[in-house]
Amino acid sequence: MARDLRDAAHLPNLREGRQPAPPEELPRQRNGVTPQMHGRYPDYNVLDEVGHWDDATRRAVLQRVENVPPVRFFTDAEARTLGCFCDVVLAQDSEPKIPVLNMVDAKLFAGKLDGFRYDDMPDDRETWRLVARGLDAAARQHRAQEFASTSWEVQRQVVDAFSKGQLQGEVWDDLNPKRAWSVLMRAVLSAFYSHPWAWNEIGFGGPAYPRGYARFGIGQRESWEGAPAFERDPVQDVQQRGLQ
Amino acid sequence: MKLGGAYGLRTLARGALRPPGNDSAFLLDVHRRAVPTERMARYDDHYPVDLVIVGAGAGGATLAQRLARRGWKVVVLEVGPFWDPDEDWVSDEAGSHDLYWTDQRVVGGKDPVELGKNNSGRGVGGSMVHYAGYCPRFHPSDFETRSRDGVGQDWPIAYGELKRHYELLELELPVAGDYWPWGDPHRYPHTAHPVAGGAELAWAGALELGIEMRVGPVGITNGSFGNRPHCIYRGFCLQGCKVNAKASPLVTHVPDAIAHGVEIRTDCMVTRVEVDDSSGAVTGVRYISGGSERLQRADAVAVAGYSIETPRLLLNSTSRRFPQGLGNSSDQVGRCVMVQGAPQVAGRFPEEVRMYKAPPPEISSEQFYETDPARGFARGFSIQTVGPLPIGWAEHVMADGHWGQALREYARDYNHWYTLGALSELLSLTDNRVTLASGVNDQNGIPVARMDYSQCENDRKNIAFAKRTLREILEAAGAQDILTIDRYAHLVGGCRMGTDPEHSVVGPDHRVWGIPNLLIADGSVMPTQGSANPAITIMALASRLADKLERKLLDGRAGGRRLSARRREASRDENRGRASGVRPRSSPTPGGGESALRRDHTSAGRRSHAAGQLPDDQVG
Repeated sequence: MARDLRDAAHLPNLREGRQPAPPEELPRQRNGVTPQMHGRYPDYNVLDEVGHWDDATRRAVLQRVENVPPVRFFTDAEARTLGCFCDVVLAQDSEPKIPVLNMVDAKLFAGKLDGFRYDDMPDDRETWRLVARGLDAAARQHRAQEFASTSWEVQRQVVDAFSKGQLQGEVWDDLNPKRAWSVLMRAVLSAFYSHPWAWNEIGFGGPAYPRGYARFGIGQRESWEGAPAFERDPVQDVQQRGLQ
Repeated sequence: MKLGGAYGLRTLARGALRPPGNDSAFLLDVHRRAVPTERMARYDDHYPVDLVIVGAGAGGATLAQRLARRGWKVVVLEVGPFWDPDEDWVSDEAGSHDLYWTDQRVVGGKDPVELGKNNSGRGVGGSMVHYAGYCPRFHPSDFETRSRDGVGQDWPIAYGELKRHYELLELELPVAGDYWPWGDPHRYPHTAHPVAGGAELAWAGALELGIEMRVGPVGITNGSFGNRPHCIYRGFCLQGCKVNAKASPLVTHVPDAIAHGVEIRTDCMVTRVEVDDSSGAVTGVRYISGGSERLQRADAVAVAGYSIETPRLLLNSTSRRFPQGLGNSSDQVGRCVMVQGAPQVAGRFPEEVRMYKAPPPEISSEQFYETDPARGFARGFSIQTVGPLPIGWAEHVMADGHWGQALREYARDYNHWYTLGALSELLSLTDNRVTLASGVNDQNGIPVARMDYSQCENDRKNIAFAKRTLREILEAAGAQDILTIDRYAHLVGGCRMGTDPEHSVVGPDHRVWGIPNLLIADGSVMPTQGSANPAITIMALASRLADKLERKLLDGRAGGRRLSARRREASRDENRGRASGVRPRSSPTPGGGESALRRDHTSAGRRSHAAGQLPDDQVG
């Protein structure tokens, strides 16, 4: 029953309900860290390569791993709601997690915005605060007290409606949910996929200055790039998780 | 084997030969990437330099380099820093935030355009620091879309006037690519780069459909070039080239400009162009540096801040004589700003193709560039390749409606995907406009720009057709799944070049109508945009402008200020036998001059503008 990566049957658009198989079927990471420790390149750790990176790049990337900034921009309540939102929208349902909210908070705290604002939207910083209120309001419509304390299922329903621009009432009467979604997701995706743990999960070769890339033909990879795997190796998995 | 003149010789000699009139690649340091600035000239604010240029990007840096070689004293004011690629740039998407213009701007209209990292640069080198590297020429048809296709505008100049400048710049950048069969067919000084596996797949798919592709053209060295090394295919072209292999004015024109006496003054935000209300001529620019306001005096000013900041600066430079801002007496400043439709379509393949390797610009096709009535819309699009890095890829996946586990699954599949992009020519529309955002000021208290953008029916049809074509190519190549994202790329227009002041901001010689010594030297002057990446055309326009300026006086001051003796000598040396830079005021030509005169009622400025017209046959 081994599945082949040449096959695309695992891709959401080709599956019923446009949802993938549960990630628990994926191999456990054996070298380095991936978010939730699953991925497709179990023996590949991009951080093994830092000795080949230039100093400026090494500083910028390692900063993300070694110095998680404290939350300074959001209030405790906002951080609870928005942290939960980041987890749901990125399917970070267990440790280890990439600290996306802290990374976003640092950017907003420093006022590092993206250089444009839609005319019907407030400043990005204000948008984040309004969405925090809006997610709690939407959760209350599901008879929950707040977004962060409700069930995973309700959280997913609220986020699904948000992604489709379908939230209504209270904050959402004045805040365009489609635009707000794009403001938040730009920052969320930028934080998550700038983290080397995410690069491990997807098998991205990462920074390659000064050594460059030399093998870019079909199916080729550098000697140091990770080989893909799809299925979990049961023997290694048991040992890895100490289940014996 | 017969060597085809200079081109044949150059093909053999490649990086060993200097392009004529530009030593930049040889002035760089072998052991570090930063441009040597130790000997850069410094001018006093009160010293009226011959020209102050606002912005050190494709237009401003090229113009400065050209004029410095002709003996002009030039200061370039740049809002961003003087980059040191070794220290300031990283092989990292999120870490490249400082390369972009991220100050406030407001976007509106029915189809608002995302700015920032998408299309707006900052710092010496401008947006070319983070462009992909594609350097296609415009087609001859781009200069006359109104006459040929009944859409857009005709330019006041023809392709032939830029051709020599395209050829020069292709040597200076240098551009690498296959023989180019589209538009005005031509070859490139550097041979084509190798292409990665994904591009091979896409190319095969295109051929199935009868679509021709070619490699390039990219402003990336293939072989060493002076002290610029070979590309190492690390894939981070959009984050600034740490190698110095990719061309940007920072390495292609700034070193030579500095060697010829240009001062590039960085971290300077120009807030207004100063005008002498009695004569109507500009006298310099006001700018903020280190928290204090300063004034640089100059005999002439060239604004090269690109399609958002140039209109903003003109609109903010109000005075008693110009209450609507400079060049805006006919309400034209900011109008006809354009972007290209740039949808990206990704295909999934059985083998790994790892699209993060090799420069994102690999192959392209201009087979759909011209109007084909059978397609049901005017003008066309080009097909190119893009290599999204992980953040870009995640945004692509999200655009297809995925988040949560589905997003993560597509991201994990990254190495199996290859991405094509289109550049659709969107038409110039007068209501697509840069204005000042009411009540929104920047950190210096200066009103910020607002950009309104809406597509017309032709635009929508063009984008839809382009997307369908990309999809068909990938399917023919054997793609198992397809993901699509709609986006825009590039900026041009906003201070259109034309033949009369009622419908344009500058004339064919880049002078703002009504102001004799104010020039615009960036992509904002472009009346149409074709389906070509604009960088090399912006440079070619600046190169042509320098030729024009060499041949005439800048007569901004009452009575006309003559060129300084020093410049006259330098100009003479430089030209050795050719027409000297000093010419008497020439009389208006029968063509362009007359039409300008016809609309000239009272303003002295317009009169002197008309007097400045020169026959175009001196160029090219």
